[in-house]
Amino acid sequence: MKYFTSDPAAEPASVQYTRCTVDLKSGKMQMQDVPCRNLEDVLGGFGRSFQILAERNISQAYCDENPLIVNTGLLTGSSAMTGMRTYFSGYSPIKESKKGLPAAMWSTGSGNFGAKLKWTGLDELIFENRSDKPVYALISETPAGPQVELKPAEHLLGLSTHEKIMSLHKEYGNAHFAAIGQAGEQWQNVYMGAVALSTDNQLKSGDDKIRFAGRGGMGSLMGYKNLLALVAQSSDKIKPLTPEVKAVNINVVKGGGAARLQPISRGGGGGTWAAYDVLQAFHAVPLNNFRPEGNDLPEKLFRSQVEKQYVIKSEACYRCGITCHNNVHEKKEDSSAGGFLAKFDYEPLNLLGTNLGIHDAGQAARLIHLCDNYGMDSISLGVTISYILSFNERHPEQLLLNGATFGDFSRIRELVEQTALGKLPEIGHGSKRLSEKTGETSYAYHVKGLELPAYQPETNPGYAWAIAGGHMSMGTYGLLTREGKSDIDSWVEGITRTKLQIVGFDMIGLCKFFDITKGICTQMVVDCLKSELNLEVTTADLSAAVRRAFLRGLALELRQGYEKSEYTLPAEVWERPNPNIKLPNISSQEFMAELQKRVWEVFEPELGGLLPNSIHE
Amino acid sequence: MNVAIKLVGIFQIGRFKEAVHEYPSGTRACDIVAELRIPAPLLGVVLINDVHAGVEDVLNDGDRLCLLPFIDGG
Ligand code: SF4
Repeated sequence: MKYFTSDPAAEPASVQYTRCTVDLKSGKMQMQDVPCRNLEDVLGGFGRSFQILAERNISQAYCDENPLIVNTGLLTGSSAMTGMRTYFSGYSPIKESKKGLPAAMWSTGSGNFGAKLKWTGLDELIFENRSDKPVYALISETPAGPQVELKPAEHLLGLSTHEKIMSLHKEYGNAHFAAIGQAGEQWQNVYMGAVALSTDNQLKSGDDKIRFAGRGGMGSLMGYKNLLALVAQSSDKIKPLTPEVKAVNINVVKGGGAARLQPISRGGGGGTWAAYDVLQAFHAVPLNNFRPEGNDLPEKLFRSQVEKQYVIKSEACYRCGITCHNNVHEKKEDSSAGGFLAKFDYEPLNLLGTNLGIHDAGQAARLIHLCDNYGMDSISLGVTISYILSFNERHPEQLLLNGATFGDFSRIRELVEQTALGKLPEIGHGSKRLSEKTGETSYAYHVKGLELPAYQPETNPGYAWAIAGGHMSMGTYGLLTREGKSDIDSWVEGITRTKLQIVGFDMIGLCKFFDITKGICTQMVVDCLKSELNLEVTTADLSAAVRRAFLRGLALELRQGYEKSEYTLPAEVWERPNPNIKLPNISSQEFMAELQKRVWEVFEPELGGLLPNSIHE
Repeated sequence: MNVAIKLVGIFQIGRFKEAVHEYPSGTRACDIVAELRIPAPLLGVVLINDVHAGVEDVLNDGDRLCLLPFIDGG
């Protein structure tokens, strides 16, 4: 980034970012310094990439005109804690409107790739067209500036995410990696391919301790383009910690923001896994395709149970004091840690465990491990499989695929493996398409074509307005459970004002765990921008930019053919209300209808002028 | 007065799962949180008789108080 102003909100064009456009068909590269159009462009991430996507007229995800945009945020690679995010954006193979048009989508992950990419001097890569042969892109710093080269990648074909990363690691020192697995290579039959991002821990230990940009099938888009991996090679350029950023980082770790994510041994809450205990108190842990039974089955995957058999190591991305990873290892006879099994975050653990009727930690770990190594989105995979299991439970005379049912580990494992290898497009294409084929759509747990994360839809009508997946782009999932809000005014306010601000993290380069309840419009972020980049930005500027970016995402959904009737929840929640969930009912059809009316009354007048008037055909 | 206290998740570590304690009338939820040394940043939800409540809310004889850790994100 080049800064010719300290006031990027007033003078965005005086901030330039360095973009490389790579034509995968011809191999041509174009390096440009691009002036920013607005503060969203300056902040980066999807705030910028969605403006580029809005300029294109895309009617199917797998076409030459659909770009894959890889970028970072303003604070990626800075000394602000969690500043490690990379963003992958494009029109999604999996998320589509009922009209069949692909939705614009972004996905993001931590690990060290984002910082390395930033340190090469490049802020954005746009991959156009597709390569005839498998390639990977090497991005490196040179005295003349960042350089991008395409390299043959036949030797990487068929390798898992982890194997691809480790193979490239042998060739390139001082580098970090982004790679797809076999699933992304099978893009025709797998729309839920993820992008794996390397961590220092992974490269040093050789264990597959990877982070993922999983949602929306960005790994499948990468596979379609025949782009198997990215290598970012540069020296580390972390600035010395200033007193201001140091104070912010201490506040992030010790203040309210991330305390609950800290390891239990440090007095924290033990990461996202703790959601199991809390949601179970309301019988709201998804079980057997989102049908909690009011029993204690979910407790079998409580941390306190798993710890009896396994060693759980609390680990972090390089330099991050939040330490949110819970890595599960075998327990040796002397109680020390044996081989690494899988990382246990709440979403994959639930959606590849309890929600499939799997209550054995070892079996859940095996499924997570397979999903990660093949490179699939654990949310889309888990939820599409749980749909199959639910269908089979309802139709014992008409079983789908291998006839797997809830808890049938060996058959479920077979489904995971076969999906990843492109042999089960029924699963690989996601739950929306599958349920439309079976004709039983009410218990397919997706909204707008993207599978739901592991929070019961009965607890979160806000899912309907999430623009890139239910928990990363609409922060209403705790509004009922945690805050106890069940009145329509609180929900309208949450969806249209406060909780949409969560998407700010997916612009600026920070994890949402930096300060999940307050978002990025805080003095902490203002202080970091001033200290790291000498930029004077107010919290009001940030808030307005985040809101515009969110609304642009909504406008883009409507342009891709979404009808207002698609802003809803899976019909099962009101067709078969679940009496076991011990929370007020806010998912009746009447509540949803009133919410739809009130939310659009706020959003609609603001949607004009956010998209370009003319778009490239 | 008697209050039945239920602790969820990590709050059980070094404390208890469920117990009935005796308190003077006028006791608030936050008084019990302080007595149990539950760190404020970790406290997410307070339920009194299964209904979301405020930490300042006053308890009555026979109430059930449930304290849950803060959760967010996946
Ligand atoms: S909060 Fe977690 S995922 Fe984010 S940088 Fe820190 S350790 Fe990594």
